[in-house]
Amino acid sequence: MSDISRRSFLKFGACVAGGLCASEALGEAAAPRETAARPALTTVLPYPRLKLAHATQLKTGVELRLTYPDKESPISLLKLGKKAINGIGPDADIVAYSRLCSHMGGSLNFRPSAGEFQCPLHYARFDAAKSGLIIIGQATDNLPQIQLHMDRKGDIYAVGILGLVYGRRANILG
Amino acid sequence: MSKIFHGPDRVPIPPRDAEQFTTVCSYCIVGCGYRVYKWPEGKEGGPKPAHNALQVDFTRQQGAQTGTWISPAMHSVVTDRDGTRSHVVLLPDADCVVNRGNHSIRGGTHGSVLYAPDRPTADRLSHPLMYRGSTQLPTTWQEAIDLSAHVIKAALDKWGPDTVAMKCFDHGGGGGGFENNWAVGKFFFTGIGTQMASIHNRPAYNSEVFAAGDAGIAALPSAYLDAELADTIVLIGANSYETQSIYFLEHMLPNLTGASLVKKQQLLPEEPHAAGRMIIVDPRRTSTVAIAESAAGTANVLHLQIRNGTDIVLMNALSRLIYEQGWQDQAFIDGRTKNFDAITTTNLAQDLEEATKLTGISNAQMMQAAEWIAKPKASNIRRRTLLLYEKGLIWGLKNYENVASVVDLALLTGNLGKAGTGCGRLGGHQEGYSRPNYPGKRPPVNVDEVAIKGGASKVFWVAGCNPVGGTLNAQQFRITLEKRTALVNQALDETAGGTMERRVAAILDAMEQGGLFLLVQDIYPIDTAKYAHVVFPAAQWGEMNLTSINGERRLRLYQKFMDPPGVAEPDWKIMAMMAQRIEHLYRAEGNRDMAVRFSGFDWQTDEEVFRAAAVGVAGAQEDYGETTYAMLKAIGTNGVQTPIKKIEDGKPIGTVRLYEESGRFTFIPAKWPGYPEPISKLMNDERYPFWVNNGRANHGWQTLYDDQRKPYVMGREPLPFVEIHPEDASKLELANGDLVELFNPHGSVTAMAVIVDSNRPGHVFMLFEHPKGWLNSLTTGYVDPDTTIPYYKGTKAGIRKIGALPEWQERLTFIPTNQA
Ligand code: FES
Repeated sequence: MSDISRRSFLKFGACVAGGLCASEALGEAAAPRETAARPALTTVLPYPRLKLAHATQLKTGVELRLTYPDKESPISLLKLGKKAINGIGPDADIVAYSRLCSHMGGSLNFRPSAGEFQCPLHYARFDAAKSGLIIIGQATDNLPQIQLHMDRKGDIYAVGILGLVYGRRANILG
Repeated sequence: MSKIFHGPDRVPIPPRDAEQFTTVCSYCIVGCGYRVYKWPEGKEGGPKPAHNALQVDFTRQQGAQTGTWISPAMHSVVTDRDGTRSHVVLLPDADCVVNRGNHSIRGGTHGSVLYAPDRPTADRLSHPLMYRGSTQLPTTWQEAIDLSAHVIKAALDKWGPDTVAMKCFDHGGGGGGFENNWAVGKFFFTGIGTQMASIHNRPAYNSEVFAAGDAGIAALPSAYLDAELADTIVLIGANSYETQSIYFLEHMLPNLTGASLVKKQQLLPEEPHAAGRMIIVDPRRTSTVAIAESAAGTANVLHLQIRNGTDIVLMNALSRLIYEQGWQDQAFIDGRTKNFDAITTTNLAQDLEEATKLTGISNAQMMQAAEWIAKPKASNIRRRTLLLYEKGLIWGLKNYENVASVVDLALLTGNLGKAGTGCGRLGGHQEGYSRPNYPGKRPPVNVDEVAIKGGASKVFWVAGCNPVGGTLNAQQFRITLEKRTALVNQALDETAGGTMERRVAAILDAMEQGGLFLLVQDIYPIDTAKYAHVVFPAAQWGEMNLTSINGERRLRLYQKFMDPPGVAEPDWKIMAMMAQRIEHLYRAEGNRDMAVRFSGFDWQTDEEVFRAAAVGVAGAQEDYGETTYAMLKAIGTNGVQTPIKKIEDGKPIGTVRLYEESGRFTFIPAKWPGYPEPISKLMNDERYPFWVNNGRANHGWQTLYDDQRKPYVMGREPLPFVEIHPEDASKLELANGDLVELFNPHGSVTAMAVIVDSNRPGHVFMLFEHPKGWLNSLTTGYVDPDTTIPYYKGTKAGIRKIGALPEWQERLTFIPTNQA
């Protein structure tokens, strides 16, 4: 799917959560598609398509602290240096996550050595290579993962979120 | 679809006019308070504060820890019996002093386990089932109760009370409450009069802390506040971050970080204070150790990595070191205790060199622990030490002396009945125990051995527990159950369509041949129910009103906010239906004496049972006296700490901590007995080189009976794990995520290998209860002969690699959980 048709696809509100955006958005440079059955459409949230960075700005193990889908929602964009679930880019190792702990909203720290996010409030930890899978902690969901898309030029776009960001009733405020 | 579970990206919020209830978490002993919101499907609160019941502005991002965020796992859409569909949200209560809006992974995912016909909880038991034609088919309450009542009565008449065995919940919280426990006890003890009774997680009807009781100490003497005030907290055999998570996070950690210093100075102004220290006695380096170290600094946390089965030796060595330094509380010993002399030749005579050899803990570490427990603070003021123990100790080598050795240490150092002190259980489930007295003796009979495997009982009623995986030596238990119940299946098949008389006669014949009639009462079709002849569908938490206490004796009302599925009923009502039917049968034949034993079950409401149960707690730590539901409703999630001293203006006045004013305690000598024969036999057999310890993990609750319906949790723990030291893993040529078989002469089980240096080499730790691998297939039949409590925590096994499970290796994480 080209960028333009992708954009209009989103504009008509057809992009849905539960992973559909991710697999649709994987595009040329993407990891292999999943064969799992599509889930029921659970949302019609109008996720914006936002350019986060160019691939060359990413250094392995160093997070870029950005926001998505709005400036009140901090995220971390990372090149892990090893293949990650839902990772994009030639090595399928570029991922992004909400930085708000899915327990009670603590600000997560990324630890490159383990490839994990850690919360200083109650010690929740999430695996950055496994779609934010909880390692241990009191959170009630895995860490929300930002769905990414990389175009031919190497620009990385955020196009949706898997899971509900802490502190919201819907990922898109309003 | 992502390979990893993520919940929906939005959640409905309650409108202003949502119905509101209060409740308490159904799971662990800590008992976090929850608010419940319920409103019709098709409606939703608006994002502006004026338009939602939380009065929160959802057009903005909320800050951290507001206690007003609803995660999708806290929400469900339920269907009541009249077909009405409603949203339900269960929100941790920010105004509850226990949790302050915090929640564990277990309680925070309650939305996922409410019954809903179109969600993973759809497999709740909704109707009674009866064995028919080699399967179990739905039937009416009338038929299920009628056949069972006839069988129970016939067996009782023919062989006497002990022919009926039971294994039942005794929990507070989700598994019971005072109401259900009272009805169960009244049925089995007043009605049947059986000694063949056993509590859900053990083979007998016993206290897990007989020694504490004999010493004069109730199981839960202190308050959670004491963990904020203590100079030193000692955790013995407990991994509290994962098993009493919110007690640990909200009350222990603030002490370790110094956040509770202000409170210490306010409440105890006469003495010097510092941030608290923590001693953790555990054969495993757990997440609790790592987090405590991270919060307090490694200099303030002492992990005593004890060898399996040597708790008594360690506790006695500490007592000796303290006594030799003169750090004992002589005034307390003289004024509040007796029998001190008895420990001078036992506990206090523990050889210190031998102690190091057996426990694996250096003398220096022991000395440091002794200092932290009892070395006086500046100006010679006594340290305040809170000693808390749980299953690692209780289910250790010898239950009675294990507990006694800790109790003696607390008495020696005067740590009881004062702020910041105490000696008690951390607890597993909540408590709601009230029953007529058990008619058996002490030590109580081992029901697994005598009644089930030994054949002494012919009817077995299992309620709210899953012994085919949860009991000790579970594989042998399963084999027996399968054989004995099959004989009754045959009798039922042969008399299909026959009269009640014929059917009961055939069942009795089968019983003569060793047959066992099995009744299972539960909320889900658990593994034990597979063998049952009759399955009763029970209501769960939220589907009836119930009352319970938490680990600091905090009594609250857990309100009903939805209907049970189908025709499921609260446990108390099921017991009452059976009692009333048996009463009727006895009356019909003019046997008034027996009829009277089964009378008095004609309660109409949950509260009537609550009031009836008050007599069973009189004088106990849970004594709630004249308290009523209305009084409890008025005090919401903060409730009141039992025992209730008096009712003042309709308000129950309780007790923050026990023994402040009174109480006299008895030292109980404790000597290390060495390893019992079934264990030493395994120790001397090179085919079984690994010590197998086991326990709970953060993500799941008990047998995972609820968690199996939480995709988030099962995505993290699809199979039981076994932690194996890297040295052992390399010998076994294992990689993370490999499937292994653990085996010994008692049974075998599979688990997924997690390679981590949390245990000493040669020692492994396995998740204790997972329906895809019951650890207890490996435990021996050994119990402490003085208490009939099993040594669940110690067995030995061989380990063999089966192979890799690549899809799970990809989808799971193997980053060690014991880091912070
Ligand atoms: S907010 Fe992150 S662990 Fe609680």
